[in-house]
Amino acid sequence: MSEITLSGLEKRYGDELAVEDVSVTIDDGELLCLLGPSGSGKSTTLRMLAGLETPTDGDIRIGDEDVTDRPAYERTTATVFQDWALFPNKTVLENVAFGLKMQGVGKEDRHDRAREMLERVRMAEYADDDPMNLSGGQKQRVALARSLAVNPDVLLLDEPLSNLDKRLSEDMQIELREIHAELEETFVHVTHDQDEAFTLADRIGIMADGTLVQVGEPNEVYQNPKNRFIEGFLGDTNFVEGTVERTTPDTVRVETELGRTVGLPTAAADATALEAGDAVTLSLRPEVLSVEPVSAASDDAESSGAVRADGSTTNAVVGTIENVLYRGSTVRYSVVVNGTTVFVERTVGDGSAFDAGDEIRIDWDGADLLAFRDDGSRVDL
Amino acid sequence: MTGTQSSLPAPVARLWEPLLERSRSKRALLLMAPLLVFELLLFVAPFLILLRISLMEGAPDLRYAAGTWSLDGYVEVFTNGVLLDPIIYSFKLGLAATAITVVIALFYAYAIWRAEGALKSALLFSVVLPLLTTLVIKTYAFRPLLSPNGTLNDVLLTLNLVSEPIQFAPGTVGVLVGQIYIVLPYAVLAIYSVLSTMDWGLVEAARDLGASRPRSFVEVVVPQAMPGILVATVISFAWSVGAYAAPGLLGSRDLAFAIEVEQRLLSNLDWEIATAYSVVMLVLMLASVAVLTVVLGRFGGEVEYA
Repeated sequence: MSEITLSGLEKRYGDELAVEDVSVTIDDGELLCLLGPSGSGKSTTLRMLAGLETPTDGDIRIGDEDVTDRPAYERTTATVFQDWALFPNKTVLENVAFGLKMQGVGKEDRHDRAREMLERVRMAEYADDDPMNLSGGQKQRVALARSLAVNPDVLLLDEPLSNLDKRLSEDMQIELREIHAELEETFVHVTHDQDEAFTLADRIGIMADGTLVQVGEPNEVYQNPKNRFIEGFLGDTNFVEGTVERTTPDTVRVETELGRTVGLPTAAADATALEAGDAVTLSLRPEVLSVEPVSAASDDAESSGAVRADGSTTNAVVGTIENVLYRGSTVRYSVVVNGTTVFVERTVGDGSAFDAGDEIRIDWDGADLLAFRDDGSRVDL
Repeated sequence: MTGTQSSLPAPVARLWEPLLERSRSKRALLLMAPLLVFELLLFVAPFLILLRISLMEGAPDLRYAAGTWSLDGYVEVFTNGVLLDPIIYSFKLGLAATAITVVIALFYAYAIWRAEGALKSALLFSVVLPLLTTLVIKTYAFRPLLSPNGTLNDVLLTLNLVSEPIQFAPGTVGVLVGQIYIVLPYAVLAIYSVLSTMDWGLVEAARDLGASRPRSFVEVVVPQAMPGILVATVISFAWSVGAYAAPGLLGSRDLAFAIEVEQRLLSNLDWEIATAYSVVMLVLMLASVAVLTVVLGRFGGEVEYA
């Protein structure tokens, strides 16, 4: 019923292209997160959905209706703004009741409904307060109640949690999920915070430079990033540059800046079509790298690309720890391998700790790596 | 120290003590001294002189009988019906000019606020420009524009909108137009200064929640602009009630209070009546401004004094 379809959406400011050819269908009741760095066009896309910006091209349909040229006040969307935009000259209750007042709901009815909404976000006791005296988290709740009070078909959230501290923001993420589950309304949530997107989203749409690069379920975009930008943006990873040495029917061998030739097991035509001399970038996520002290390492017979007993290939390299970063539950080691710095992580208490200067051996399964071409596109392995 | 303070007369102490309380130290008072001297010399002292003259007897050949005490001036003001008409005229002019000015200024300020780039500069400059011209010239300029054989009538006659010329000026319409033209820049700037600090996001939030353009203006912009509207109202009202130039240059039988005062001072040499008249008018003005402040304050226009 309130399925949203964006097709070929474009927004141009003079010569500057803020949003380019964004097309996506958002299912009824879905929570879609638009994730991207600042300036990627995600907020502009949301504002076009709200009717606060007019697209220069493309169209927007909510349900069966084309709403592209409809002003914000005639759309069944409601927005929670980044700075909350609460009306300073009205009480908390009047703020929440505002949308209903605009719909012509009588004073008593709308105040009853507003009180109900304030209770839902646990702000009932502040009904008669001046919103300017509330804390950030409280303003956020009032803004949410105000948008929900009009019972919108689509709730649009424009980085509403980015002005809150980490703890509060995480609590609100859980609360938002609960409210979403309860209301079964369509939510579109804009954020630049990957963790927030992974926590909230049914699907994530990743934006970069005004385009929607990939849309998918959180684990899908994480496991199967479409290009190098997404791989780098979604989590911490080591990008290692290399060139293709040779391709066999079941392996691509890449000579890397780590001083080792790395074997990528593959059978895909996309990968075997690579030619010797092609530049590729490998992504070594810390979670696929295992670490052990050099002394405990087995003999050098197990060289790069050798096939282990279980059939996987090993690609161990040895490096020197440059510095150690304690990050609470994990420790991050910067390791210099053949002049290139890579980082690895270990869970605190997981085996012996290393110090700066120690030599360690880093190993991985070639099948866990992702490879990207020069233009950023992913090699299908 | 407390001894010296308590020896002050009660009304003075009432004013003095909060002042001391606020400043906490005498050094802060010292910083205020230039302002106090300025106010005393240019406002308080002349007003006390005026007050004193209003309490003197009249004298046949002199402006006033120096050194005498009398309430004759006030008795004359309250009993002579001739003196009532200018007060009524001035208040009517004040109300009309203020209402029109504030409405125009509100939309004008909104337009400046929403404009961008060169248009914004042009709109702002067009507000400031009249302030660079002397009041007499810009007021007098309305005569060739509004007189029966003036430009406006030429246009109206050519377009066949009227069959014979209308005398806008000299006349009350001319006075009103002239007075609005005088106070409008101040009203626009007062409202714009408040609007310029306002977040456009609030208007977007209102529209997003279903408020149409006019509705979001009334619900969000006007209450936010209220402190500026209040200042614009007080400036326009005070100035228009005390208007002298516009009624003098553009009026025909427009006997404003200020003109009556001038005649009493310069032609009739009734200084005790003119000053008593002024004092009464001042009290009426203060009362009206107080009422205005309270009424507009109801609509969210809380003026911060501190």
